Parts: sequence; C-alpha cells; structure tokens
Amino acid sequence: MIDPISLMKIKSMELRAKVIVEGFWKGIHRSPFHGFSVEFSEYRQYTPGDDPRHIDWRVYARSDRYFIKKFQDETNLRCYLLLDHSRSMGYGSGSYTKAQYAGTLAATLAYFLFTQGDAVGLATFDDRIRQYMPPRNRPSYLKRLMLGLEAQPEGGATDLGPPLQRIAQMLTKRGLIVLVSDLLTSIDRLETDLGYLCAGGHDVVLFQTLDPAELHFDFDTPAIFRDIESGRDMYIDPVVAQKNYQQRLEGHLAASRATCQSLGIDYHLFATDRPFDLALLDFLQDRMRRRKQIHRAGGSRLGRAI
Amino acid sequence: MSFLYPLFLAGIAAIGLPILLHMIRQHTRHRVTFSSLMFLRATMPRFRNRSRIENLPLLILRCLILCLLALAFSRPFFAKPIEESEGSLGKRIVLLVDTSASMRRPGMWTQAINQASSALRDIRPSDRVCVMTFDRDVQTLLGFEQWEALDPAQRATAAIESLSDLSPGWNATNLGAALITAAEAIEDDEVNVQQQPVGSRQIVLVSDLQQGSDIDALRTYEWPQGLALTLKAVASPGATNAALQIVANRDPLAAPSEDERTSIRVTNSAEATFEQFQLHWASDAATSEPERSVDVYVPPGNSGIVRTPEGLDAGSARRLILTGDDQDFDNTLYLAPHLKQQINILYLGNDDPNDTKDTLFYVRRAFSATGATRFSVTAQRSDAPLTDADMDAAHVVIVTDAIGQDDVATLRRYLERGRMALLVMKSEQAGDALARLAGAGNLEYREAEVNRYAMLSRLEYSHPLLAPFSDPRFGDFTRVHFWKYRGVTLDNYPQARVLAWFDTNHPAWFEVPVGQGTLLVFTCGWQPADSDLALSSKFVPLLYSVLEYGGVLTGRQLQYFIGDPVPLSFGVPPSDGSEPRKRGTPNAATVVRKPDDSVVSLDATEQAFTQTDLPGIYRVESAGGERLFAINLAPQESRTDPMPIEDLENLGVVQSAFGGPAVANAAAVAQAKRVNDLVRMEEQQKLWRWVLVLVLAVLLVETWLAGWLTRVHPVETQDLASPPSPGEQ
Repeated sequence: MIDPISLMKIKSMELRAKVIVEGFWKGIHRSPFHGFSVEFSEYRQYTPGDDPRHIDWRVYARSDRYFIKKFQDETNLRCYLLLDHSRSMGYGSGSYTKAQYAGTLAATLAYFLFTQGDAVGLATFDDRIRQYMPPRNRPSYLKRLMLGLEAQPEGGATDLGPPLQRIAQMLTKRGLIVLVSDLLTSIDRLETDLGYLCAGGHDVVLFQTLDPAELHFDFDTPAIFRDIESGRDMYIDPVVAQKNYQQRLEGHLAASRATCQSLGIDYHLFATDRPFDLALLDFLQDRMRRRKQIHRAGGSRLGRAI
Repeated sequence: MSFLYPLFLAGIAAIGLPILLHMIRQHTRHRVTFSSLMFLRATMPRFRNRSRIENLPLLILRCLILCLLALAFSRPFFAKPIEESEGSLGKRIVLLVDTSASMRRPGMWTQAINQASSALRDIRPSDRVCVMTFDRDVQTLLGFEQWEALDPAQRATAAIESLSDLSPGWNATNLGAALITAAEAIEDDEVNVQQQPVGSRQIVLVSDLQQGSDIDALRTYEWPQGLALTLKAVASPGATNAALQIVANRDPLAAPSEDERTSIRVTNSAEATFEQFQLHWASDAATSEPERSVDVYVPPGNSGIVRTPEGLDAGSARRLILTGDDQDFDNTLYLAPHLKQQINILYLGNDDPNDTKDTLFYVRRAFSATGATRFSVTAQRSDAPLTDADMDAAHVVIVTDAIGQDDVATLRRYLERGRMALLVMKSEQAGDALARLAGAGNLEYREAEVNRYAMLSRLEYSHPLLAPFSDPRFGDFTRVHFWKYRGVTLDNYPQARVLAWFDTNHPAWFEVPVGQGTLLVFTCGWQPADSDLALSSKFVPLLYSVLEYGGVLTGRQLQYFIGDPVPLSFGVPPSDGSEPRKRGTPNAATVVRKPDDSVVSLDATEQAFTQTDLPGIYRVESAGGERLFAINLAPQESRTDPMPIEDLENLGVVQSAFGGPAVANAAAVAQAKRVNDLVRMEEQQKLWRWVLVLVLAVLLVETWLAGWLTRVHPVETQDLASPPSPGEQ
C-alpha cells in the first residue's frame, strides 16, 4: 500500500492512477487486459465539425463523398464520475486538499475502468455543472479525463440538487455513477438530490471524502474559523466546541448513510489519509457484492467484469 | 508631599498599557479557514486568568517601576511653610525719560518733567530707584547706589532737580536699547545686592512714544519675567508735522546734470490737518521774496519730492526752512556746499590723444567728468622736462614711455613723498625707467614670447587694488587676452609684490615701494596692440581702483545725521596742492567749528569727528583749508505720531495698567516668587534621586524574578497556552 502523502507528490494524475491500479493488480494477481469489440452501426454523411478521423476513406474512394463510419460500442459499463468541486472540497489540513484526493480517487477508478475497457465519463459540479465529458473508451480520452480531474475547485457552495438533477436528465443510458463529494450540505434535501440519480436506474456509488481534521476536529487553540464557502467568521474554542461538533457530524454521517441505504446507494466514507488501494478494494468488493445480489435477484446485468 | 511638576504624575496612567496589552493578547488573532461551519456553534471568547495570576508579581513590579518613574519626573518634595517677607522689600524702579529731539516740541518737556515728578513722589522709602534719560544713547542720571546713598527724604527732590537741569537734545530715539538697558540695570542691581527678585520690578517710561522710535533691539531680547513697563505718555497739541530730507539716491558716477538743484523729500504726518507747506531759504526769509519760496502739497501720511527753490549758489552753505505745520523742531534742513572733487592726472607719454590705437585715448575716456568728481588729464611728452610744480599739482602720474634721467629723479622724489605712479611698460624701453625708479639696477626685463595670447592666471584679490574684483561675479579675467607683454624677472627684488601673474608665470601687475609711495607697474599696455584690457569691462573699474588705492578718490557720504561720525577725509580733495592721504593715514591737527560757534580740537590720531550733536553747518579748519559739512536731524525723529502700545507688547514687553499702579504685575511677581521658593525647596531636598535609586532596585528585583520564573517554571509557562478544562468556562 502506498501512503497517500507520498503518492500525492506525483504530479501527473494519470501516473498517480497508474501506480495505484497496477500496484493493486499485482496485489491480486489478475490480468487487467481484456479485449472489447465495437460493432459497425451506420454511415452518415460528413458534416463540418465531425472528427475527420472517422471518415471512411474507402467509401470516399468509391463514391467521392465523405461518410462518417459510426460504431455502436459494446462497452459493458458506462461509468459516470461525478466530482464535487465546491469550494469546501478545496480544504485540506495536510499537504493536499480533499479535491485533490477525490480527483486521484476518481482517476484511479477511471484508469482501472479504462483498463477494463469500460467507458468513463466525468462531470464536475458545485452548485451547477462546471464541466461535462461524456463516457468514452479511447486511450486518448483518458488523458483528457485526467486533465479534467486535475482542475481545482473554484465553485461556490455545495448544492447537490440542481447539478444532479441536470445530470440525471443528461444520462440517457443507464450506467454506474460514482459520486465523490464531502456532502457538506443540508441533509434534508440529500435524499431528494440523490433520488434524481437513482430514479434513472443507475447504480450509484457514493464516496464521501472528508479531511481527518473534519472528522476529528482536533484543533488546539481558539481561533476565528472562517467558512471556506460562505466566508463567514466565527470564534470557536475547539476544546469547547469539539464534543458538540462530533455529535453533529456523527448525526450528519449517520443520516447520509441511512439515506444512501434507503436509496440503494453504496456509501463509502473516506478520510483523505486513507490509502487509495483500500478505496479501490472497497469499491471492488462492493461491486462484487452488488453483482451477487443482482445475480440472486435475476436482475439485468450492468457490468461484465465488475 | 508636594510636586514641582505634578503633570508628570499623569504618566502613572501608563501602567494601564501593559495590562491592556495583556488583556488584548487574550483575544485570539489566529484565523483558521475551515471547510464548513455547519457543525459548529460560536463560543464566547474567554479570558485566561491563569497567566495573570502566575505573573502577578512581575506585573506589579513593572507597574511599580512606571509609577516610580512618573513620581521621579514630577519632582516630589516636602513642602515647608514659606516665610512671607515681601512686605519688607521695596520695588526696583527705573525712571526712563525721553530726551530725543521730538521732545523739543512746545510743552512736551514740561509735561515730561511733571510726569516724572509725579512718579518720583509716589515712591516709597524702601524702593530702589534709578533715573535714566535716553535718546540715541542712554545716560544714567541717578544710579541705584546713588539713590540709596541719599537721604530718603531728599531722594525724590534730588532726582527731580537733576531732571529739571536737562533739556531735550537733537538725537533720534532708540527706545528698544533704552528699555533693554533699564531692564538689565534692574537685573544687575538684583545680582549686585544679592537679593532674590522679590518686590515688583518696574520701568516707568516718560516719553512721547513717537512712531520713529527704534524698537528693533527688543526683537532679539527676552523680556525679564515679572518686569512691567508703566508708560507715562506726553502728548503735543498739534498733530501736523512735516519734515525735510535730502533725497540721497544720487549716483556719484553719473554724468553731471545741468540742474544742480537738490531734491528734497517732504513728508507729512499721518494725522496731519494741514497739507499745504512752503519751502524757502533761510536767508530769503528776511527779504521775504515770494518768488523764492516753493509751495508743497503733501497729503497726510504721504511724502513728496520737490526741487529746492532757486536763488542760492550750490557752492555755499544753505539753510532750507519749511513752514506751515505745527511742529518747528524739524523744519530746518542744512545743506553743505556741493563741491566736486578735482583729480589731476599727469600722463607722461608720446601718444596722440585721438589715436584709438594708443593708451592715452582710453585714459581720457575712462576719466570723464562725473557728478561727484571732475577729472583733469594732462598729457606731457616724455622728453619734455618735468618740474616739481607739475608734479605737485598731479594726484597721480601715469608713465607709459621711457623717460629721461632727470625726469626719473623728479618722479622718484614725487613717489618718496607718499604719492603713487602707474608705470605702463608699453615697450621694452620702459624697463629702464622701472629699474631706475625702483632702484634695482639688476632688474631683468625683455619682450616676452607669447604663443598666440597670454591670460592672467593668478590674481591677488586680497590686495586693495583688486579687492573690488574679489566677488566671483566680477573676478573673471579670462576673457582679457594679452598679445604682447614684457617679461620682468623679480627674483632679485623681493620688495616687489606681484598682484597678477600671466599664465606663463611672468608677473603682469606688481607694485614696488618707493620711499613712502608706491610704484604700480603693468608689464603690458592696454592699447589694442598689446591686449584687450582697454576694451574689456574691467578697465574702468581697474583705473578707478588705482585712484582709490592711491588715496586720491575717496567715497563720499551725501548727508550726515545727528550722532553720525563724520570722517575727516570726507571727500573734499586738496585742490590747493596739499598732499593726498592714503587711507588710514592720520590727518594733521584739525579744528572743527560747530554751528553754535564752539570749537573742538582734534588731534592727529582721530579719524572721524563724532560730536555731531547739533544740526547745522560744521566747519573743519585744518592746515589744508576749510571744509564744510552739514548735520541734520534724523528723518525718523520727524515721525511724531504716537506709536500704538501694542507694538511694544508684541515684542514681549509686559505693560502694567496704563499709568496706574502695577497691581497685576505685583500678583505676577508674587506668583513667580512662590514658584521660585518651591523650586529652591525641591532643589534642596532632591527626592527624585532617591526615587531613581528605588527604581533601579525594583528593576534588579524584577530582572531576577523574571529570570527565576523562566528557569524554574518553563513547563508552567508552556501550560499557560494550553486550553483550560471545560469546567473553567
């Protein structure tokens, strides 16, 4: 297992994900390389703006017309990585922020799924969608994905409702949605917000990432605490406030977990000092358990390898 | 306990500062950015009392140091009862009586005597009094010691008698110096008698306090504390006073004008009621010729300039009288004969006076007639025999060519009598005359080789001849080019003093003493063939400087006022053949006849005549003949409008009640005395020293305690920052 602090010193997101995933595979001795196939779908007349790489030059040689060769991919899994980029994700008591940890986590999953041949898309949001990349499975697309994951949070407050509702509308095909967020938002609307995703028949996995300082609130000296999202100042004596904080945080986490459970969402709480391998292992174990449940229930298959 | 400077006790308030800083430090200035405050509730800031309690001894010690410092600065002392002895001490009074010319107005002096008498009669036997009179200077009639020596019953009478014997003079009023002298006299008396300045100090001023009084001396004088001025003003019934003054803006070097009449400034007082005056000559008043008088219209507070009436010869002494105002004392203006100075210059050379390429032409141009001087340049060929009579008439001799053996002897005799000659070496032949005149047979001279041109490189600006050029604005001789000159070697002739050197290290101008006289030598002529000198702006000033250095041309002051020293060589030349004097040379025995026909004999060492205490025409009678000069009343003395007393107060003079007893002054003196007693008491006890010793002791204890706390309880100190238990909140 690689210490996250050491790992985060690797600048390249892709390399970081590669180190985690390949180290992980070596650990479980399974080959990640599986083939995948694409099936020809149709020809379509070229219109300016289409990628010229998709032009079928043989057709052009025969007909003197540009035609785009369309494929229908047969990727077994579409994975949507939803990454919370609200300003609270920019907090980090250590050398890296929650957003960086969440990004690495998402990159790890993306790299892993890419090696499986699954399509991975990305959406970052705060109170609205900041960037959206549809699921693709091409090696070059992974680089774009990694660049998207390296973006730093610049948004405002966390508000899951509008972006998740919008994403649910955009995702016409069912797939796996991995939501990485600190869920530092009102618990009252969490069920409604997450319900948008579940309503579309997606499998939803929620990684709640919190900084160890947020989990334990182990500050020493009284200070004026500033809310990173609202900018509000508050004088806090940690010694006095810690007990109450822990109680309220526990309540919030319990409520989040209960909500996820009721919606059938796999819920994982991650402190940002937790090794990524464990996160990946948790994820896989969860998926295995989910597959067994589906098999037992005779439900539809969503994934092939996972 | 009392304090000399109790305001310093306010410094004790400074102990609040460390306490306040201590309190402020309890508030955290630490800011932490946190992801969300949604699980947090604000807590009230708490003050941690533990640190204060643990460091309380230190805090107390430090506060104590501040308190003791404030105490030391406030100069504490133990007050003792002050013995009241003021009643037994008298006042010190200086009675200052104005005897300036303005007090000559009708009735003024009588009023002044009456005012002084009334002031003297109010004086108690215990008072010490000094009686002074003042105009331009201050005279002490009765000093403090003399007053004490007199019988107390007779003191006032004696002082009044001494005043009654006086009468106002003609001098201007220097009120500032008089007040300072009076104030210093009081302070000196206090020092001499070795008494503390108890009793009140007072100057009683009897004066018309005219606007023309000079009070500038007070600007730089700090008026003594507790000294009050009591003014006993005297006033004249008439407000209109016009005065006469010669307009002294004549340029002595200006060309003479045809109208020789003098310009007169007539001024009128600001509060005048008349504006029309008449000017006439005193001698004409008897003949009462109306055409000889001039009507003058001067509005109040203004002045006008008029020409003197026609009629009298400018060469005679005259008296101009103004009529039409209320005050007569300043209505007469004396005018000395306006005589031009005659200067004869003997030029020995073979030049054509109209040849612009030769030297004589430029000498004639340089010495043209001016308003104050009349020049006569006599050219004589160098081969013509010189006579002693020719030489005696000449004030200065200029030699430009070689002269004969006899002429050299004549010229040398001339020089040995204290005269001056200028030898211009136009050619190498003139060097022979130089060698013989200077008495230096082995003098080396030859035509110098000049590469294009030579310039003056070193000039002795300290020499009187070149002193007018010492200012950097005038001392630039670099534009004067010398094409040819005669190189003279003066190594074997140490008596010669070089005034200017060429850049080739040859002397350009030098002087050689011959007997009592001086031979000035220019090794280069000023004609265009030799140099640019005649065409430069330095030429005329240089020749005039030669005349001044030779004592021929002297500065002349146009007019003199009462009290001015008049130099005995005041500008009238010895046109009758007497010898001119060099500057600083003592005159022969001289007699000066004053306007009142009194005679003052001056010995040979006196440079100036100082007894100019009467306006009028003075006659200087000496072996050389008779000269006249006029002394007039100082113009500021005619400004007789009363001066506002605020002018004196603005200069720091403290005035007691106008003409009444100095009640306020007495209170001020009593206050000053009380303060003085407290100061002395504090200086005797010097408690502040002990307080400072205590401060040092407390500092030592504080340092030791702080060090001990740091060494012994480092952990406890660290604990101060640790959070208290929740139960403390």
